[in-house]
Amino acid sequence: MASLFRDPNKISAYRDRRFPGDQEEFEQTLLKSTTVYVGNMSFYTTEEQAYELFSRAGEIKKITMGLDKNTKTPCGFCFVLYYSREDTEDAVKYISGTILDERPIRVDFDWGFQEGRQWGRGRSGGQVRDEYRTDYDPDILPKLFILAVFSGYGKLVQKELEAQRELVDYNAGSLGSFHPIMPLPHYGGRHERHERNQGYGGSQRHGRDFHHRKRYRDDDRREPEMSKRTSDHESRRNYDQDSRPEKNPRFRERGDSDEDEEGDHRRRRP
Amino acid sequence: MSSWRSLVLRIGEKCPEYGGNVDFKDHLETCFGVVRRELEHSSDDILPFLLQCAKELPHKIPLYGTLVGLLNLENEEFVREVVEKTQTNLQDALFTGSCNKTRVLLRFLTVLMCSKVLQPSSLIVVFETLLSSAATTVDEDKGNPSWQARADFYITCILSCLPWGGAELVEQVPEEIDRVMVGIEAYMSIRSHVSDIGLSAFEDFNVNDKSGGEKDFLEDLWGRIQDLSSSGWKLESVPRPHLSFEPQLVGGKAHEFAPINCPEQPESPAAPSEISCGRQKYESELKYPQRIRRLNIFPASKLEVDIQPIDRFVVEEYLLDVLFFLNGCRKEGASYMVGLHVPFRYEYLMAETIFSQLLLLPQPPFRPLYYTLVIIDLCKALPGAFPTVVAGAVRALFDKIADLDMECRTRLILWFAHHLSNFQFIWPWEEWAFVLELPKWAPQRVFVQEVLEREIRLSYWEKIKQSIEDTPTLVELLPPKGLPNFRYTAEDGRDETEHSLSVELNGMVKGRLSSKEIMSWIDETVLPTHGLDVTLRVVIQTLLDIGSKSFTHLVTVLERYGQVISRLCNDQDKQVMLIAEVSCYWKNNTQMTAIAIDRMMSYRLISNLAIVRWVFSPSNVNQFHTSDRPWEILINAVSKTYNRITDLRKEISSIKNDVLSAEKASSKAREELESADSKLSLMDGEPVVGENPMKMKRLRTSAEKAKEEEASTRESLEAKEALLARAINENEVLFLALYTSFSTVLVEPLRDACIDGILQPSDKVDEMAIDTDDTSTMDLDMENGGSKKSHSNGRQSSDSYNVKENVQWCLSTLAYVKSITRQYASEIWPHVEKLDKEILTEDMHPLLRKAIYSGLRRPPTGL
Repeated sequence: MASLFRDPNKISAYRDRRFPGDQEEFEQTLLKSTTVYVGNMSFYTTEEQAYELFSRAGEIKKITMGLDKNTKTPCGFCFVLYYSREDTEDAVKYISGTILDERPIRVDFDWGFQEGRQWGRGRSGGQVRDEYRTDYDPDILPKLFILAVFSGYGKLVQKELEAQRELVDYNAGSLGSFHPIMPLPHYGGRHERHERNQGYGGSQRHGRDFHHRKRYRDDDRREPEMSKRTSDHESRRNYDQDSRPEKNPRFRERGDSDEDEEGDHRRRRP
Repeated sequence: MSSWRSLVLRIGEKCPEYGGNVDFKDHLETCFGVVRRELEHSSDDILPFLLQCAKELPHKIPLYGTLVGLLNLENEEFVREVVEKTQTNLQDALFTGSCNKTRVLLRFLTVLMCSKVLQPSSLIVVFETLLSSAATTVDEDKGNPSWQARADFYITCILSCLPWGGAELVEQVPEEIDRVMVGIEAYMSIRSHVSDIGLSAFEDFNVNDKSGGEKDFLEDLWGRIQDLSSSGWKLESVPRPHLSFEPQLVGGKAHEFAPINCPEQPESPAAPSEISCGRQKYESELKYPQRIRRLNIFPASKLEVDIQPIDRFVVEEYLLDVLFFLNGCRKEGASYMVGLHVPFRYEYLMAETIFSQLLLLPQPPFRPLYYTLVIIDLCKALPGAFPTVVAGAVRALFDKIADLDMECRTRLILWFAHHLSNFQFIWPWEEWAFVLELPKWAPQRVFVQEVLEREIRLSYWEKIKQSIEDTPTLVELLPPKGLPNFRYTAEDGRDETEHSLSVELNGMVKGRLSSKEIMSWIDETVLPTHGLDVTLRVVIQTLLDIGSKSFTHLVTVLERYGQVISRLCNDQDKQVMLIAEVSCYWKNNTQMTAIAIDRMMSYRLISNLAIVRWVFSPSNVNQFHTSDRPWEILINAVSKTYNRITDLRKEISSIKNDVLSAEKASSKAREELESADSKLSLMDGEPVVGENPMKMKRLRTSAEKAKEEEASTRESLEAKEALLARAINENEVLFLALYTSFSTVLVEPLRDACIDGILQPSDKVDEMAIDTDDTSTMDLDMENGGSKKSHSNGRQSSDSYNVKENVQWCLSTLAYVKSITRQYASEIWPHVEKLDKEILTEDMHPLLRKAIYSGLRRPPTGL
């Protein structure tokens, strides 16, 4: 459709080092590819969750989870392979930057999954792009985008917004340095509910279950936005390993190889 | 981006390029000043860019028109080119049937007229051309009324221009525009009213064509334009920047506009019949779809307060244009949508317009996913205002959910769950807690249950449970935790033989035995001793369990041991057993059931017909009105069949191109060879026929190669065509089976639930006879042809729902008949003759016939 706002020279900001060809061939491949790379996922997101979301762009042929090469556990990325190019384009256009499992994910065209690419290539075994988080489209980052978004809109809207801002607690300050992914929706109307505005408190109220820990883990991941990235990565990795032995009822253990199956099998049904 | 570009692109916007002010006159002066200077060197770049901006940002067309008007004072030649290019573009758009392009170019012409670039009479000529084509189309004798959709579109285009230039036309060429208006009035009197039947989001099954009294889209627009005319062509939503420059603009040269032609009238069917005309009408409506069908979910007080009817139309045009042309540009799209330059609030109108697109039948212009994203972005852009409006829309739709079309209802469920997943699943669920007091089949209750199901799929059970903790009773509507239901777990003491067989098979798979080895184990050891039922159960349960850990595990098992399954389930009966076993293993997880069946269909382990048969088995039929589970599986199977056809069509059209180029290459190579062959050349001083042998050999080889290439592309074309023929045939068989099944399951329930051919929604007599805990007997009742019991329940607070179970079952099932038919109507139309002969016979129940007819948009017959 509209090409006015798209830079035709930039199909992907990311250039895979392993691609066997030059930049032009790389771009040609991306233009025909029916695979997308999905990044910035939660380590806990399952293939089925990805399936539910990505099937809204079209019929899915295959999903390959990215695994940490050391621990063989999901490490925050996957490949989704579609049957048709149109569906692939829609996935990139409409899913990138939206939330899956409470995290803003990133979706890009990919040159096609090949055996071996499921292993994380980061220095610590995880997702490589994680270590370049500044690459991310600012849109999908949990920044205080609200202020940015508003400058530039019509006067009326602006005024209206200022009036409304009181009603919505964007920051739910209680979580300290971490910024919310997006403003909390305010569904006033029939039943005005002010206590809604605590929003993020939802998980806090469950101090003792694992979700609380999960939230904290996520919080850890968001917080160091401004701190050193490698240490961020290390810390989440360590944290993740710590939490691994915990029983997480929605995360089905999977090692991608058959050899692991026996073990997984037993673990799931003790 | 050089500065003239960004100035042209951003004109009329509050942006740094214009120092943050939004005075249109300043913008035009600044922009004109810069573009004028650049015109000399870069007119080749400026022309296409300017036209592209006008085309893709049509809400700013008045500014672009005025800019062209100012440039006309500087450089007539440049503007002559603008006009010529616009003429060719318009001609092209008309011939290719590009609706949005045609409409926008006509608007551009209108503003060019306002800026004195075009004579008003030239615009009138264009209008008259469209008008005369439209009038011919709907003429019974000379035209082809089946194509009224196109004629209506042309008239819509004319009317849509008038908010932008009606005032100028009336002032400058009053007689001509009056002639056009009279012509349109005449057109309105001969065209037929367009019934919304089959495409309306809300429809009451019992009422026959209710739209008799309601205006169709064109009638409505005509009414709004007449209002505009009687209010002196004044409206608030269209800026008129040319007025500030009127004194200069009048000095510009008015350019010629070459006449345009409308494409020929499509031929009427050779043998006009109800079917052949219906087919053409269907095709024309597909090509020239109605742009919007208003939902009317908000009260008029929220929507059109203080604005004229025409302003609503104009704002809808703006929003739909942004949605269309800026699809894929999230930031810009959202910012244009919230920043329209109109002096009134329009967030309700904006929400209703977007929802009307999300729920547009038969298809929105883009996937529902796109509108999900738009709504998310608008909620972020207007966090104070938009979420409230969205919530209002959800509530309004929820209130009317019983009348909501089934396809719309499904889209709404998918959208809502996805939307909430982007906003931490926060929703005031307590408002809907009352649904628990409604019977299991109440549409509102089913809606809540299915939204929760979809939320869980995007998230996880515990999280969603937590999200409804303020309304803990709703937990009752959550599906079970989606764990597998493996028959042979360690603790399970039953079926010791089966258990040990399962362990054995599991060991073989772990030991990486081949399919062949496993098949011979089955053939030699298992089948003869234990029989088919046990064998099938053990094999399927065990393999599913091995593949239960993830989608990929499932795919791996099916890829490796698919053969075992296909050998074991080698006919339809056994495939139905296989599906039943899948459904049993994944009974707690609808998503995995659907995925497993879908994959098995992909590997052709089960046929679509087996899926239809399974879906119509009693245990599924009994949940037609209480759960989406069987429908999801059925619709997956139909859409997979359809996708295969679409893929093949795409492949075929691309191979056809390959054949053409292979033909060309081949004939070129042959010519080269022939010409070389006939040439006399000197070899060792002797004249020889043909060029030197080396070259001849090369030419001969390449000619042969090209010929082979041509032959092999042709072959693959033939192969694909054969596959397509097969797929189309499979599709025909599928729909026949589907309609037969519908017809069979509906016969008795419809007979029992209908009184005087009408489904009685409630049983007033039974109203107080509350019989709450009786749902367990329902299965039996259903099989006996519908319960006579009333499960009406007077306790809940909202408007009381007291539809009897058997009536709701009929309503839900018929609604699915209609929605599936409509979704695949283009694939069903080719087989209508056969359907008429085999399915739509005289003894079919009129309500079922009506559902199918309205899904096809086929005019009801006298039957």
